[in-house]
Amino acid sequence: MATDDGLASGDSDAQAPKNPFNFQTQFISTGPVKSHQIFQEPPPRPPPVLPASLPIPTFKEAWASMQRDQRARLCWCCCHAAVAMYVFFSAEGSLAMTALSHLVFFDVGSAAVCVAVDVLGNFEVWRRSSIRHPFGLQRAEVLAGFAMSVFLVFGGSISSRTTSSTFSRPSASTPRTTRPPRTSPTITAAAAATPTPARYVSPGTVDFASLAAVVSTLVSAYGLRNHSRIRRVMRVPFPYLASLLPGAGILANPFHFLTLCFSFLLLLLPLVSLAHFVWLDAVICAAIAASMFILGTRLAVAQGLMLLMSYSGLPTTTTISSSSTNPSSKSKPFPSSSSSSFSAATTTTTAATTTTTTVSSVVRELESEPHVARVEEAQFWQVHYGLAMANLKVRLARGTGSGGSDDGTLSQVRARLARVVQNRLGEGYGRGGNLRWEVTVQTCSDG
Amino acid sequence: MTEKDSRRIFYFMSLNLTFMMIQAFYGYVTDSLGLLSDSVHMFFDCVALAVGLFAAVASKWPPSERFPYGFGKIETLSGFGNGVFLILISVEIMTEACERIWEGRETKRLGELFVVSTLGLLVNLVGMMAFGHHHHGHGHDHGHSHGGHDHSHGCNGHGHGHDEKHDHSHGGHSHGHSHDNENMHGIYLHVLADTLGSAAVIVSTILTHFWKWSGWDPLASFLIAVLILLSSLPLVKSSARRLLLTIPPEIEYNLRNTLSGITGLRGVVGYAAPKFWIDDRNAGEATPANKLLGVMHVVAARGADMEDVRDRVRNYLLGHNIDVTLQVEREGDTSCWCGVGRSPLSASHRVTHSTSIF
Repeated sequence: MATDDGLASGDSDAQAPKNPFNFQTQFISTGPVKSHQIFQEPPPRPPPVLPASLPIPTFKEAWASMQRDQRARLCWCCCHAAVAMYVFFSAEGSLAMTALSHLVFFDVGSAAVCVAVDVLGNFEVWRRSSIRHPFGLQRAEVLAGFAMSVFLVFGGSISSRTTSSTFSRPSASTPRTTRPPRTSPTITAAAAATPTPARYVSPGTVDFASLAAVVSTLVSAYGLRNHSRIRRVMRVPFPYLASLLPGAGILANPFHFLTLCFSFLLLLLPLVSLAHFVWLDAVICAAIAASMFILGTRLAVAQGLMLLMSYSGLPTTTTISSSSTNPSSKSKPFPSSSSSSFSAATTTTTAATTTTTTVSSVVRELESEPHVARVEEAQFWQVHYGLAMANLKVRLARGTGSGGSDDGTLSQVRARLARVVQNRLGEGYGRGGNLRWEVTVQTCSDG
Repeated sequence: MTEKDSRRIFYFMSLNLTFMMIQAFYGYVTDSLGLLSDSVHMFFDCVALAVGLFAAVASKWPPSERFPYGFGKIETLSGFGNGVFLILISVEIMTEACERIWEGRETKRLGELFVVSTLGLLVNLVGMMAFGHHHHGHGHDHGHSHGGHDHSHGCNGHGHGHDEKHDHSHGGHSHGHSHDNENMHGIYLHVLADTLGSAAVIVSTILTHFWKWSGWDPLASFLIAVLILLSSLPLVKSSARRLLLTIPPEIEYNLRNTLSGITGLRGVVGYAAPKFWIDDRNAGEATPANKLLGVMHVVAARGADMEDVRDRVRNYLLGHNIDVTLQVEREGDTSCWCGVGRSPLSASHRVTHSTSIF
């Protein structure tokens, strides 16, 4: 420390003649002191590379920064929320409608998260890293997704609780005002839904609540193209669903798919005069609850893994043409037969590498680079949807990078390693989400 | 300490499970809807406890290829999930309570209600004893270890440099915060919510018994829900901050000082892309608190030995309790993504420094 300081101050002495302010010509002080040491600048410190923290926008600033389409999205979110409230309040007595309203609420929530992410993207604090938020605030998107998945699990558990209490009482059609006792107030959903007589929609008429759910989901999905955005937030691999019905964009988002399915079902039931079977109601409710539970758990695990600072490898098949391994990601619909035969073809040609590209395989590939002797430490982790980090400690082969003349080689080696990581683990450019890898290579040379 | 935690969770979970089975059995035999639906509620409590137990156990797992920084965050994650769940539940109860006050639905079968909720209260009180005591103990513990920490630093320095001590006197307050166990806090809040719920049912049953007003129960539920909501908000906030990898303000202050000192090191021209996060691998008690991990790119001056620069910067940062993966680049090399040679800011101070060193 001391030597550095001495060096720096000696240095600024050398700089002093270049000073544009020439204090020598001033004869204000009549005393014998002619030393300029008091005017000496402190050793120059460069401005910090990063700001300490960036201001987090207040609600008013966020509102002011919104662009036109963002505002439209927000408006639609409010409408969607109103529809959800309508479904919820008109669901009095019907288990299935209550469960459906939970699904619609979830759709509203995820659309709202999308809007919030969009608006926050207007601000610097979202993207730029500062000392306080080293990765910006973009991880908040993952966190919000996790919270939404908890909401899904919550809805599933509430609905299943309701269902189970209905099943335990076969004569539920008789209106009883018994409130089931409980140790916690959380069970009130069961209490509220069961005692009242089942919601009655006269056969042959249209159930407006489920119609509203269908319409609002369709508008949200196709009118605003929310389904792809939400899918980006709720990125869960669902290979079965995608391979079942490829090409249909909405199916790639399992949540919209669920909402649509069940609300169509509820819309159709009164039309074929099957309206008020309590058991059917309960069965539908159980189905919704189970799917919410399963989806929510999968979603929570997927987002939780990212929040735990992990990276699990690229889950798709690694082929030469990475752009079309997943047919559902294409917006252009093409016949299922051809796409399935295509994917079958890719799997047969690259049968050896159909499994995930694991970190260890990438590390092996890095070690096979000419100048690399050994990868001593490799830490791969995903920060948020768009960014991942690879921190490598690499021992170079003998004779590389030891002298000052080898800077070029060193730089090339680093660039090569970064390229390998990006090529192997970055999701190809044609796909919706593009995962960027920030690679840091700490090198040391042998001997 | 954490093993004690997980054992506690396990005992309480088995108690809960047994109670649930007894409830379900009697409910089935006596055809009591209340017992049955309460046992379902118990089941979900058990699930929450199981998640907490898993988190407590998993937080001890060592780092692996897939989880390079270990499982230190899993308890925070579990706490966050628990907190969000509690908030959702309380919002749900509030709407429900409003609805019931509006409609004025009557409560019957008071005797059964009373017995079930008293039993539930007893079980949950046991849980409160276990976790609540523990929670307090945790706080106390922290007070002690915090004091002890300063002591050990004052006495033998733990093998760190002298400026290390200086840093700690600044950031001393953060110890208690950063090490708080969000998982246990979440479980504690969950059990607390259940206990309060049982108590509310009991009180409202008694009140309904004496004064025939149907609004007692929803009113009690509403109040309890507000309490739960308010108590779980701080948990959600603090755990969200940790999951976002936010650097707490005290550490940030020291970190800024440390970073500005880097350019004063010999051979260092500038740095770029400094990213640090708190290390919560529970590697053992020997590691000092508030250790930071991170990544940085450093530009070495022309003619300086890269290895020398690397070791110098790394040792400097290690002295400040920061373990960093360091990429050393030569001055003028603009090929890296960190853009160290490109932005006008870093370019300008690069120039001034190269003249100042030579």
